[in-house]
Amino acid sequence: MLRKEQNDYLCQTNAGTPMGEMFRCYWMPALLSEELPEPDCPPVRIKLLGERLLAFRDSEGKLGLIDEFCAHRGVSLWFGRNEECGLRCPYHGWKYDVTGQCVDVPSEPEESGYAKKIKLKSYPLIEKGGVLWTYMGPPEKQPPEPMWEFCTVPLNQSFMTKRLQENNWLQAMEGGIDSSHVSFLHRGDLSNDPLFKGAAGNKYNLGDMRPVFEVVENEGGLLIGARRNAEDDQYYWRITPWVMPCYTGVPPRGDHPIHGHFWVPIDDENCWAWSYDYHPTRPLTESEVAAMKDGKGIHVKYVPGTYRPLANKDNDYLMNRAAQKAGKTFSGIEGIGMQDASLQESMGPICDRTKENLVGTDNGIIMARHRLMRAAKALVEKGITPPGVDPEHHKVRQAALLLKRDVQYKDGAKEALKVKPGVRQTSV
Amino acid sequence: MLSESARMTTAHEASFRIQYPNSKPRAAKVIALDGESAKLVDEIAQQKWNGAKFFTSLSFASGAEPGTTGAGMKAWLSDLAGRAMDLVAEVAESDFVVVITAAGEDARAVSVVADACKLHNKTLIGLVVPKAGASEADVGASLDHLRPHTRMLVVASGRDYIEVMLTALRA
Ligand code: FES
Ligand SMILES: [Fe+2]
Repeated sequence: MLRKEQNDYLCQTNAGTPMGEMFRCYWMPALLSEELPEPDCPPVRIKLLGERLLAFRDSEGKLGLIDEFCAHRGVSLWFGRNEECGLRCPYHGWKYDVTGQCVDVPSEPEESGYAKKIKLKSYPLIEKGGVLWTYMGPPEKQPPEPMWEFCTVPLNQSFMTKRLQENNWLQAMEGGIDSSHVSFLHRGDLSNDPLFKGAAGNKYNLGDMRPVFEVVENEGGLLIGARRNAEDDQYYWRITPWVMPCYTGVPPRGDHPIHGHFWVPIDDENCWAWSYDYHPTRPLTESEVAAMKDGKGIHVKYVPGTYRPLANKDNDYLMNRAAQKAGKTFSGIEGIGMQDASLQESMGPICDRTKENLVGTDNGIIMARHRLMRAAKALVEKGITPPGVDPEHHKVRQAALLLKRDVQYKDGAKEALKVKPGVRQTSV
Repeated sequence: MLSESARMTTAHEASFRIQYPNSKPRAAKVIALDGESAKLVDEIAQQKWNGAKFFTSLSFASGAEPGTTGAGMKAWLSDLAGRAMDLVAEVAESDFVVVITAAGEDARAVSVVADACKLHNKTLIGLVVPKAGASEADVGASLDHLRPHTRMLVVASGRDYIEVMLTALRA
């Protein structure tokens, strides 16, 4: 449980809040490349960390992320004309470039220099691995580019989606490090989902419902190891990395692509659940990509033309009581992503953690909250850069492996947990 | 018409969560396994807790070596006031048990606590806290002691985590 002030501290990410300042230290996924596919394409409205922004790609392909509203009389620039290297407000014709600099105020003589005095707030937007990343902190502290493995492999080896999740970021992220729910909520999917089934390791998951956990702090965040009994004096280990503030990796299964998430605050009551899949050494197969596009694995089907899941709270997540009763799904909701999202949204827009009753196996969550609070405090009070900003902290892999019982996973899985370009993931 | 889920997940509806308690205090037993962690536990015990009890050292009844099992096992904890208490009885009336060791210290006493937990089917949580000058190998040694017995094992980078965890567990 958390006290109300602690809960607020962790959940609030608007500008000026401690967690808000901390999130503003990182490169975060803002949009998919597909949202701004070509020069002069339509601009896209996006809200991040409680700030209304507009993303666009200008005539030369340059990317911009600027204040959504025109500095003249405040209309949304989403209605703007994306033309000749800038976005022109359709109301009175003011025009802005990708840095938010106003370059034309038609009512004023050019020589007056009026336009130079107008500049909208803007943030850098860079493209890497099919994702447009932004950094919303002070320019002088902008860190080096993100180095997550999925965004460094060739594009045909990775697949990225995002979906709207209508609740606070923290309860969503906590689901990503809550390893003990998998044996219940996602029980049915291990054997059925095309992106999970068939892995040799699955039998250990299904055979041992009471895993034992080891939580170890590392530089960028946490390693959460779950071990189950396996044959011949061995343990089957699944190791989930959490990198601050909001990256979680799902331990792999067999040779299936590796996947994981970012949980990015939109405002205090909504977040983007980003879901990546990639294979370190081979292109994804056609059938894998088809399954991902079809909402299998950790991905979802969408309301057409949006990033809102097709199963959402407006249709009660397409609850299927018959499937629940028959044991096809544990909760009655189909698909891993929506199984998680439906329950997390049901907690309310901001989970009231004063009422929860955590148990010992929730230590991953307890530790993650503790580290977030500690890091935000160190940042706000002493200016200390939080863990996870350094791209070296991104170079961690999730792993699933068999280890002799007397071997510590920190040692036995040491190499498996490192990103090694061109080397296959460690997986059973 | 809004679906039921859509109506129920608004901030407004969240304000109607009933205010009755949904749990009773749980009896946590917190046991320091070595002298170093005993000092920490001693300090933490001074604060206000929801019924958590703290034990700062173990002494064993004659004839009962670490590792002795069964109902006949007698091990004694010494609580803060220095009274000797029956380990098995303490564990029996607990909801969960936390053992704490400082990296590299002798944590073998865990096996006796674990036996008592097994006897009464209680969850044992292990916490390794840092010690000045301790190496990776020291941490490894602590883990080796604790791993066979604990359901959840945590290696914390700060000593403040003991308190953080106990608070989170409403101990
Ligand atoms: S059993 Fe975990 S939230 Fe209900
Ligand atoms: Fe899940």
